[in-house]
Amino acid sequence: MKFIRVNMSEKTIRVEDVPQDYVGLGGRGLTSIMINAEVPPKCDPLGPQNKLIFAPGFLSGTPLPNTSRISIGAKSPLTGTIKESNTGGTVAAALGRLGITAVIIEGQAPEGDLSFLRIDEKGNASLIPAQEYKGMRTYPLVEKILESYGKRTSVLCIGPAGEYKLTAASIQSSDVDGHPCRAAGRGGLGAVMGAKGLKALIADQRGRSPDPLADPEAFKEATKAVTRIVKADHMNAEVMPKLGTAGLVAPVNSMGAFPSFNARKGVLDGWEKICGETMAEIIKERGGNPTHRGCDQCIIHCSNVFVDKEGKYVTSSLEYETIWAMGGMTGIADLDTIARLDNLCDDIGVDTMSTGVAMAVAMDAGYKEFGDAEAAIEMVKEIGMGTEFGRILGSGPAAVGRHFNHPRVPVVKGQSIAAYDPRAMLGHGVTFATSPMGADHTAGNVVGAYLQGMLDPLNPQGQVETSRFLQIAMAAFDTMGQCFMASVALLSPEGFEAFGKVIGAKLGTQLGPDDFPAAMGIRVLKAEREFNRKAGFTKQDDRLPRFFYEEPLPPHNTVFVISDEELDSTFDF
Amino acid sequence: MKMRVKLYGTLSERFPGYQPTQGMEVEIPDGATAKELLALLEIPDSQGAVVIVKGRALKADDKMPHGVPVNILQAIGGG
Repeated sequence: MKFIRVNMSEKTIRVEDVPQDYVGLGGRGLTSIMINAEVPPKCDPLGPQNKLIFAPGFLSGTPLPNTSRISIGAKSPLTGTIKESNTGGTVAAALGRLGITAVIIEGQAPEGDLSFLRIDEKGNASLIPAQEYKGMRTYPLVEKILESYGKRTSVLCIGPAGEYKLTAASIQSSDVDGHPCRAAGRGGLGAVMGAKGLKALIADQRGRSPDPLADPEAFKEATKAVTRIVKADHMNAEVMPKLGTAGLVAPVNSMGAFPSFNARKGVLDGWEKICGETMAEIIKERGGNPTHRGCDQCIIHCSNVFVDKEGKYVTSSLEYETIWAMGGMTGIADLDTIARLDNLCDDIGVDTMSTGVAMAVAMDAGYKEFGDAEAAIEMVKEIGMGTEFGRILGSGPAAVGRHFNHPRVPVVKGQSIAAYDPRAMLGHGVTFATSPMGADHTAGNVVGAYLQGMLDPLNPQGQVETSRFLQIAMAAFDTMGQCFMASVALLSPEGFEAFGKVIGAKLGTQLGPDDFPAAMGIRVLKAEREFNRKAGFTKQDDRLPRFFYEEPLPPHNTVFVISDEELDSTFDF
Repeated sequence: MKMRVKLYGTLSERFPGYQPTQGMEVEIPDGATAKELLALLEIPDSQGAVVIVKGRALKADDKMPHGVPVNILQAIGGG
């Protein structure tokens, strides 16, 4: 249980035992509570007072499946709020096996100075000059790193976008195949990493010193119970392995809630060409892999490997949100283009969601035509080249909106919405408006409740309660390092109890029914809200852009109808 | 009454020869409910199937409307 503190101004590294206050925390709970405690809320996110915290989940590195999720936290240069962005791959499990609870990057290297932070198989950290990697894209970078350090190496890295400090820059994570195709995309954390002068965090996968489990027998039993529930869920047993998250294109379009053409319509013409079912067929025909395991210790296998007509690799882990941003918002109903854009963004190190929405705003402003695939590819290439327009685009949709003086910018607290229109799925509007993260796709995703028939997406009743319930639950699961898919299968009293036993078996205490997820999730959300308040955010920032209240969305022709008072009651705890 | 039904998720696996662009034609009694349609197609509850018509998910006891396309999907949590 160690903290590794890295000061980029002094180029020093200090190892500490985890303070008592933080025992039992990991992932988002740890990053948010530490950021709230240690970062001045009004500081410059790209300056030396911000901290970039890498924290595997509390259960990462244990034998529980689906726990290789790492949380990365900081003050966001995109939103100005606290930010946690999480990603999968192999690095969380690697750090967990090394017994590292968090890596905290502080201070700032001189402008242009670039380093790697390398953690070896004994958990010893060192800073290594990385000037020769300046400007390198993530795919060739990871290839070189794996050549230098061996295949059993996990990498978190930035591409040119992070080095340019663009506010939509991502931190890419290498998957099981060593491809940097997974992303901590939201909130511009790649820019924070670039501002600190860190090009990559390199962790050895051969660690053999995870935190001891207080009761290994109980842990084994509890793991079996959780795994049984996760596997019994048809979503995780059937739909995710075969279609991936792209399986959401069909339901969300069928319900008229797929924001298309910069959120002017709720159904994309031609969505059937880019849905998960079609994607799986194309991948199979061409010899790619529609059922790919991207992350360590995963039993769901929601990833994919998309190949071109010649069977050559294009991208991996092509997700629903990317298909929506690059296809729905832009009107480009073509998977080959979308896959190409996904790979370009991963390589350049920029968030696919923010970039797709930014392009949609540019198209809506008349800069290019909706549906122009070639133009989209050229625009994203510009981000990598650091052209004037490329820098604006790589700064996200709000920056593009300002540049063109365009009024229809679908963001909350500066971050773009996700692939569910608030006018046709009211609960998402609640989450987008109120989440301390800005508009977010995992913080409180209500779509499962709609599809299971538990809630009517167009009726205001129950939306705030459901968003609240999910925001609390997800904040708790994000603290544990368990992936979203597995967590969604556990959103029941039975699931929470089973999961609580796993945590208890590691900690050596027995959790009560209110401990998980409620007490944990609420503690995390309170820390995040407190930081945002001190940073200057008020309830006026917990609102959607004007046009969601005024412009009816076809085909339902509805607007967002949850009142300000109701929104403000979301965090009544 | 006859209706045109399209299947999504992994549901079409139970119907060899299913064509995604056309869907399939299904005959059900007038006044049949969404639940009865699923039973007719032998789609078990464990599949988490949801019948969506005109942009809305039907409840089990909702009657199937005439003359509109029907999508049958599988419930998924978000991502």
